[in-house]
Amino acid sequence: MAGLLSSVRKRLSSDALRTGRNGGQTDPVVAELRAALAPDRVRYDGAERTVLSHDASIYAGGVAGPVCFPLTTTEVQAIMVIAERHTRNVVPRGAGTGLAGGAIPLGAPIVVSVTRMNEIEQVDTANRFAWVGPGVVNLDLTRHLTPLGFHFAPDPSSQQVCTIGGNVANNSGGPHCLAYGVTNAHVLAVEVVLPNGDIVMLGGLEDEPAGYDLRGTFVGSEGTLGIATRVAVRLTPNPPAVTTLLLSFETIRDAANTVSDIIAAGMVPAALEVMDQRITVAVENYVHAGYPTDAGAVLLAEVDGLAESIEIDAHHIAALGHKNNALHIRVAADEAERAALWKGRKTAFGAIAQIAPDYYLHDTVVPRGALADVLDKIYEIADRHDLLVMNVFHAGDGNLHPLLVFDAREPGVVDRVHQAGAEIVRASLDAGGVLSGEHGIGVEKQAYMDEFFTAEDLAHQNRLRQAFDPGCRTNPGKVIPSGHSCADIQALRSVPRDVWA
Amino acid sequence: MDLNIDTDDLNICVQCGLCLPHCPTYRVTGDETMSPRGRINLMREVQDNDAPLTDEVVDAFATCVQCRGCEPACPSNVPYGQMIEQTRETLVEVGKVTPAWQQLALKPLAHPKLLRAGSVAVAVASKVGMVPTRFGLPEGLPIRQKPLVASGDDVWMFTGCVMDAWQRDVHHATQRVLEAAGFGVKPTGRLAPCCGALQTHAGVGDQARRLAETVIDQLEGQPVLVNSAGCGAAMKDYGRTLGTERAKAFSHRVFDISEFLAGHADRLPDATPLDLRVAVQDPCHLRHVQRVHHATRDVLRPFVRELVELDDDGLCCGAGGAYSVLQPELAGQIRDRKIAAIDRATPDVVASANPGCSMHLAAAGVPTVHPLTLIDQAITTSGPGN
Repeated sequence: MAGLLSSVRKRLSSDALRTGRNGGQTDPVVAELRAALAPDRVRYDGAERTVLSHDASIYAGGVAGPVCFPLTTTEVQAIMVIAERHTRNVVPRGAGTGLAGGAIPLGAPIVVSVTRMNEIEQVDTANRFAWVGPGVVNLDLTRHLTPLGFHFAPDPSSQQVCTIGGNVANNSGGPHCLAYGVTNAHVLAVEVVLPNGDIVMLGGLEDEPAGYDLRGTFVGSEGTLGIATRVAVRLTPNPPAVTTLLLSFETIRDAANTVSDIIAAGMVPAALEVMDQRITVAVENYVHAGYPTDAGAVLLAEVDGLAESIEIDAHHIAALGHKNNALHIRVAADEAERAALWKGRKTAFGAIAQIAPDYYLHDTVVPRGALADVLDKIYEIADRHDLLVMNVFHAGDGNLHPLLVFDAREPGVVDRVHQAGAEIVRASLDAGGVLSGEHGIGVEKQAYMDEFFTAEDLAHQNRLRQAFDPGCRTNPGKVIPSGHSCADIQALRSVPRDVWA
Repeated sequence: MDLNIDTDDLNICVQCGLCLPHCPTYRVTGDETMSPRGRINLMREVQDNDAPLTDEVVDAFATCVQCRGCEPACPSNVPYGQMIEQTRETLVEVGKVTPAWQQLALKPLAHPKLLRAGSVAVAVASKVGMVPTRFGLPEGLPIRQKPLVASGDDVWMFTGCVMDAWQRDVHHATQRVLEAAGFGVKPTGRLAPCCGALQTHAGVGDQARRLAETVIDQLEGQPVLVNSAGCGAAMKDYGRTLGTERAKAFSHRVFDISEFLAGHADRLPDATPLDLRVAVQDPCHLRHVQRVHHATRDVLRPFVRELVELDDDGLCCGAGGAYSVLQPELAGQIRDRKIAAIDRATPDVVASANPGCSMHLAAAGVPTVHPLTLIDQAITTSGPGN
């Protein structure tokens, strides 16, 4: 973990670029892949391989091998067959916005970018589903559906960028998943190419498919079971009315207690999001949405449904806010104001670069009742390690996103970040929480899997994985920690130079 | 190799990827080497880690349209436009982009007579079918044009290079609208032949800075009104490109024509709205760089039956100054996306306040006019006293 963290983004060597023009043609699979796809859709040059060696996380692993841009399921199948023949690993990739290193290459695998499989093939409003390619951008899908009266409910903060394939891989959440459920609740069926090249359909369009729920197994498997090539998503009707409230508090504890009170009162708002003062200042500096920068914390609460019922809910939320010493309560006057407030919340991670160039983000989930205590603990841990921490989180379901912000150029800071991060995770687990709400395990949280699961649990998970991928060749070295994984993670850390040199 | 990019600027990006969907080249290729995040990554590899400037790395930089759609999308305010301009300038110095013949081709922009003669030759050649269609020139380039005559000295009307040669009718329309609002207009003409924007984009910084100095020297006093979004953006940026107090003061006097008129809306005459459904296509340098695109709507709305928005989030049309000539394949793919958005909006006509965009769209058969042309038409057909 510390080793990984210390090899932060900016220190990745330029090995791929140094291999010279076209990166050489010595990788034997390149010619086969080009014959199976098209010469211009398999790239092996240093520029491409360098860029696709990163995602939005701070992790550096290996270097991308050949980078493929398939257009069809058949082309993905061809890639898998070639990879199997040459015993090569494969890493699927969407928009590369993951924060846990799920899309970075370890070793020098074949990278399969699904960004061009971005067709919305079929929309059936009567039966409320749509077949889409894995490269369709989440917000593009919702924009396509909006005029028809529907949307795709999971709305990760990266929704303007991230792909449906990535959402399926990570079982992504988002602010509005509080009321609507995470990606798993919105995927009816997935067409998957398995590592041996077989094409299988997991799940189905009927309400109660027969047999084991392999669809549910696949959603959230972070690319370790195969590559999704088509996804049947559920369409959610647009609510007839929406009201968004912005409540400000002197302390984050008051905000957290308001959230607990709202849920305890029996309401399930569409979204409940909390930001502390530091992150609110950074966000407001970018979005100019009128976020109060002098409050200790803000709570963004949204209710949707029939106009009459949401008015009652909004009053109720405001009353609970007042009970918890709210300083100010503002109701978004129109769609523009609402959009500006959400834009602020959804760009929070990017906005922190105004403060420091690096951040390390956790994604633990704690019981709502423990929110205030765990937050106190997080600030205390950061203080003790002389680090700046910011909190922005899906308060409604207790999904914390503590951000440790730092400048990796400062000597010793990376070790302190690592220690503080470990303590934050432990504090969350001690409070009865779990490791990841929505970002996935990737390479980031592997080290904590041992604390959360028994050896027996992990062995079973590994057996499940091998049922799909006996050779451990799709996204190897992710999720299941070393020692329990069939892939030798240590070997993957070192880049097999002879692959392209 | 040092690309001369400010180290702090290069460090700002946290690689979150929120820029990707706002980048036209990423949108059409799905390839991250053709995205702002990927390009910044490569800038870091070259400048910080001394990675070699391979053809593919140069290509990643050369394919950027410089629309700067990524800038408003960036929550960390990464100054991407400056970084890619600086990269291009360094690449020109080491002979990797904008070869000598292209630098030479930019020279006539600063010489109105030469440009005019060249334009007439191209217009005639185009008329007799001698210009290959891949150059993407619109039909009906003007062969003869009426001269512009000053009517007072309340405001400068910046006439520029290509726009004056190919779209002088827009200048005439602009002048008539300004006069209808009671402003005496001084066309800049040969005083300030070119703003230098195309040179800046091509990485020919020296040429660009010399042109900027001429513009500042010649246009003293009054507000400088610009009806070309690309020129306006460049001139508002003189403060940074030249780094002098005088340039900064000048930049504060530069206004987009719609931005200026929106501030004097009460002086515009009433007119019978044209019976048209008009789609507003925001030039990138109006929306993403000057960020005054709302003014176009405010000014245009009373003069047409209906304004309609495109649903593509202000994505670039692919014109990008000389981009459509230098990267015709990508420019065409980007334009296809724009045309699909225009088709969905079902307008009678598209309004675009930049000569590059309107020519690029017109070359694909999209009826595109400058918003001031529409306002002028409404005022003129309504007649005086209305």
